Amino acid sequence: MLARDGLAGEAPPNVEQLAARPPHFTARATSVIFLFMYGGPSHVDLFDPKPELDRWHDQEIPVFKKEDAFMGKTRANAMRSPFQFAKHGEAGIDICDQYPELAKVADELCVIRSMTCKSNNHGPALFQMQSGSLLAGHPSIGSWTTYGLGSQCQDLPGFIVMMDHQGAPVNGALNWSNGFMPASFQGTPLRTAGEPIAYVRPPAGVSTSRQRAQLDLLGRWNSDYAAAHPADEELRSRIAAYELAFRMQNSAPEAVDLSREPESIHRLYGLDNKVSQHFGRNCLLARRLVERGVRFVQLYSGGNEGPRAWDAHDDLEKNHRLHCAETDRPIAALLTDLKQRGLLDTTLVVWGGEFGRTPNAEGGKGRDHHHRGFTMWMAGGGIKPGTIYGATDEFGYHAVENPVTLPDLHATILHLLGLDHEQLTYRFQGRDYRLTDVGGQVLRSILA
Amino acid sequence: MKWIAIVIAVAALVAGSVRANADDQFARAVQPILARHCAECHGAEDAEQGLDLSTATSVLAGSATAAVIEPGNSAESLLVQSLASEADPHMPPDGQLSDDEVRAVAAWIDSLDPATPVGSAGISEADRNHWAFRPLVRPPVPDGNDEGWSNTPIDRFVWAKLKSAGLSPSEPAERAVLLRRMYFDLIGLPPTPEEVAAFVGDDSNDAVDRVVDRLLASPQYGERWGRHWLDLARYADSGGFHNDLDRPHAWRYRDYVIASFNADKPYAQFVREQIAGDELADATLDTWIATGFCRNGPSNDDNMGKGIALEKYRMDELDDIISTTGTVFLGLTIGCARCHDHKYDPLSQRDYYRFLAFFHGAEKRQLELDSFDADELKLRPVNGKPDAKSPLAMVLTSHGQPSRTTRLLWRGDVRNPGPVVKPHVPEVLESSHSAFPAEAARRIDLADWITDAENPLTWRVIANRVWHYHFGFGLVATPSNFGRLGEPPTHPELLDWLATEFRDGGGSLKSLHRLIVTSAVYQQASDARDDAFAQDPENRLLWRMNRRRLEAESLRDAFLSVAGSLNPQAGGPGVHPRIRPDLLVASQRNKWPVVKREGAEHWRRSVYVYVKRQLQLPLLELFDAPNTSHSCPVRDNSLVPTQSLVLLNDEFAREQAARFADRARHDAGDGARAQVERALWIALGGRRANSALGRGRCVRGRAAGVAGTRGNGSRRRRPRRAGRLVSRADESERVCICRLINRWPIRAARISCIRQAPSRGEIGWLAPARRSATWR
Repeated sequence: MLARDGLAGEAPPNVEQLAARPPHFTARATSVIFLFMYGGPSHVDLFDPKPELDRWHDQEIPVFKKEDAFMGKTRANAMRSPFQFAKHGEAGIDICDQYPELAKVADELCVIRSMTCKSNNHGPALFQMQSGSLLAGHPSIGSWTTYGLGSQCQDLPGFIVMMDHQGAPVNGALNWSNGFMPASFQGTPLRTAGEPIAYVRPPAGVSTSRQRAQLDLLGRWNSDYAAAHPADEELRSRIAAYELAFRMQNSAPEAVDLSREPESIHRLYGLDNKVSQHFGRNCLLARRLVERGVRFVQLYSGGNEGPRAWDAHDDLEKNHRLHCAETDRPIAALLTDLKQRGLLDTTLVVWGGEFGRTPNAEGGKGRDHHHRGFTMWMAGGGIKPGTIYGATDEFGYHAVENPVTLPDLHATILHLLGLDHEQLTYRFQGRDYRLTDVGGQVLRSILA
Repeated sequence: MKWIAIVIAVAALVAGSVRANADDQFARAVQPILARHCAECHGAEDAEQGLDLSTATSVLAGSATAAVIEPGNSAESLLVQSLASEADPHMPPDGQLSDDEVRAVAAWIDSLDPATPVGSAGISEADRNHWAFRPLVRPPVPDGNDEGWSNTPIDRFVWAKLKSAGLSPSEPAERAVLLRRMYFDLIGLPPTPEEVAAFVGDDSNDAVDRVVDRLLASPQYGERWGRHWLDLARYADSGGFHNDLDRPHAWRYRDYVIASFNADKPYAQFVREQIAGDELADATLDTWIATGFCRNGPSNDDNMGKGIALEKYRMDELDDIISTTGTVFLGLTIGCARCHDHKYDPLSQRDYYRFLAFFHGAEKRQLELDSFDADELKLRPVNGKPDAKSPLAMVLTSHGQPSRTTRLLWRGDVRNPGPVVKPHVPEVLESSHSAFPAEAARRIDLADWITDAENPLTWRVIANRVWHYHFGFGLVATPSNFGRLGEPPTHPELLDWLATEFRDGGGSLKSLHRLIVTSAVYQQASDARDDAFAQDPENRLLWRMNRRRLEAESLRDAFLSVAGSLNPQAGGPGVHPRIRPDLLVASQRNKWPVVKREGAEHWRRSVYVYVKRQLQLPLLELFDAPNTSHSCPVRDNSLVPTQSLVLLNDEFAREQAARFADRARHDAGDGARAQVERALWIALGGRRANSALGRGRCVRGRAAGVAGTRGNGSRRRRPRRAGRLVSRADESERVCICRLINRWPIRAARISCIRQAPSRGEIGWLAPARRSATWR
């Protein structure tokens, strides 16, 4: 299968790197929107209610191990959630009161409560969530996706990243790195102000028509040369690349031009609200990009470090109130909007951070990093809606029922995209690498 | 010797037949039982502790450390013992085989001939016979009539291959093309039109030799070839992880590399210094700095974790060092054997940890450079706060360190230590010269072994790398993997000849360059020929020279050079050219400084541009500057529209274009035609200089035609002759000329516009006398 597709462990030739390629089998999803809640959102305060924490509040919980604490002031004492939970939708999905809008589309969600990963340190955990490896230098999942499937959209990059208005997460651009793959598979940052994509706007004083004339002349010279050298594939590709670049100068600004969206859509995504407008704009952009065929869009909520991310060490309530308010309406709007346009069926939406937070307290009001059990959810794109999968123990500490590893999650995402995670390999330094390394089981029971 | 081989062969045959019988019975009676109870942990795919219970052979081979059965004696067999219900450890950990099942396993063991060989199958003759592990022997140079084609022995090897495939080599490249090739190849910069004119007009026999000597003697040679080495050494000026901490002293290693190439340091010495410069008997400041090779990998110095996490982090760093050491010097992917035996090459997990043991006692340190005294070293620990003020070097040393015991780690897991191992070289490469005292072996012993004349890999690997950089394609297409998954050499005899020539000539890289560049195969034209293309489209037999896109650094350096902007200052801390402020957000902390306007201090050669792991200079990154997380043996050659966008719209390109236009005016005076002619001279690097001059009018005509598209369609003409004129220019030159010509009418009409007048690309160079004077 792979050999036929020209993907037997090596990059396709230059000319074809970004051309659309057929999947291994019929895909359920053609695009992914990954809502990355950077910093570590607290599962026991958002989607995984634990009444035991009320009972054990401020008492030492037996499951705590000192070595699991990332920060020195983390104690074994349980901390009850400051938020109230209720069951929502026909499926009765537990969602906290900080997500009132999301609660209205609860029936779309498949909540995985038994996520685990291998690090409780932001840097390595981010790398692992992105690339399966705790170390830098491995391709991120968006790179694997565009490597496997190419791009459906020839006027825009296939893998686009939008950072939070607060800045980049730790690891910076290495989070969307192509690792050992060719640079054409790396994530392209998209900005909401100024030039949407770097270098996509001609310099001041250069009109489109003049640039067109320059490219025409260049194209003729190149074509003459190419005609004399029919074997030179690369030259023909270079001509095509200039043409694509020229088109991108139009298509990229068009794709990010939100003035083309009606007022009602602006309101739906919360663009009329100071708190939610940043993430709302990114969610709306994500929909527009997916409409145009972009394969993989990653949006960050939370940037920089500490309170500007979901990294609620000091005051969980304050931190999560803010970040929920920033994201609630935008995320609910994204699911609603994708659905009303018939795009939710083919767009997989993934929500989660690099880990969760401790059920026990850090200092008086905070929670520490925690990776032994936490929550992510998915929606659309072939996922079984209205589902709760897996469980943590009574404190929310360990994943105890159907624990899910990151390779499992990655395998499932690739599966929905029509890719077999064991066959999608890339040869580097004498080895065929996989996103899932030597692990990964597709979570078949949450597939629709 | 022959009889030994025969005895071994017979023994192997006997063992083979015994094992065949064992196989048969095992498959029927035992395999289903073990598959049911044991395969989850001890299957072929995932053999815990190296124990694979899926076949008779693998059961006989045992675990990574011990045999698990004693043929003919089930009672003494660990496998049967551990199946007993009271056994400790008991297998399977949470299950129990029935008595019948245990009896079946025991019966099979008892049925085996006690002479059946057990234990690791070890290194087979086939393993030792892998082409790259065979002793390096100088092959005879092919003779026979080569119709006077050959310049060097290299050519005779290539000729012989071509002839046997029914192919012939290409014509020699045009002189101007050849000169340009040599310039970009040896110093990474284009020649000036004057240099081209001089070379084209020089028909003396030693014209090429003199150019090669001049280029190899120029300091730009080290900047060009040192950059190749920095790719391999995963060089960067920051740590990468998390906060991407600055490495304010990393550049000393970069300068060490450049200086080593310029000095034509013998390769063995170069290798020894980088692996063990601190342990040399005659250690100097430079050799200490050389250990920066072991320090270049990504690191997380302000966030290393603690306890188990810290121990794991340390092992990751050591893995980076030995994986890089293995691939760079030996072409051996030993890093693959960290968690299990290598799946393809005869490298065991034990080999990995024995190799690691050479480095295990060493620590990352900062060496104080003020008043360096090899007898009284001032070393500081590495912590999360880089000290940019004091003169320091990043070094690796075991100086003042207690020795460390190295244990094999099952599945590479620090929580799962296995037996103690001593420093040693991979078993498959053991030979008389690897017999050093294992107890006290240090990195210098490893370095000595690597650089020993008898090492079969070292010399082949470096000869192939040099070939790869000259031709864009190695004789072995996988320069860092000489194992079974690597490509075999296309010209094995040529490779061995080059390797021995290099080794026996004292490891002089400059001599090797001279040999290659003066060869007929190097000097061929690069045009595709239908006959040969159909048969060998990848040009593996070298019937022509390969055509190549310029590397990122050469592209940027050529921009600077044709614009007259290049600041030739060498060495020192990395420079931060302008990155648009809106791109700076992509690095989280320790940000790239905001540069409002670039000046001469930024217009240094690209090898001196600060390599920030979280944010590389976009122009370089887009044109495939290496990702510095791992050693990079072969650069990608990607082709994406963002490259075109950066060439069209980036401020750097525009500014250099304006300066290029200024230069043309400065050189040629006020006449528009003379300016066009001069610009073409520079842009074409003097190539086809006569025709370029002769067609100046034509270019003007074309310029008018383009002007016509801006409002006066009546003057539009097809640029036939202009097209032909530049048809041989490289990609970026075409952009440059195109931009220049497009703007010409505006410029002629309104001189004040010239500041915005664009042009770009890699193009000629200033006349030598003006080189240093013209950057402003």
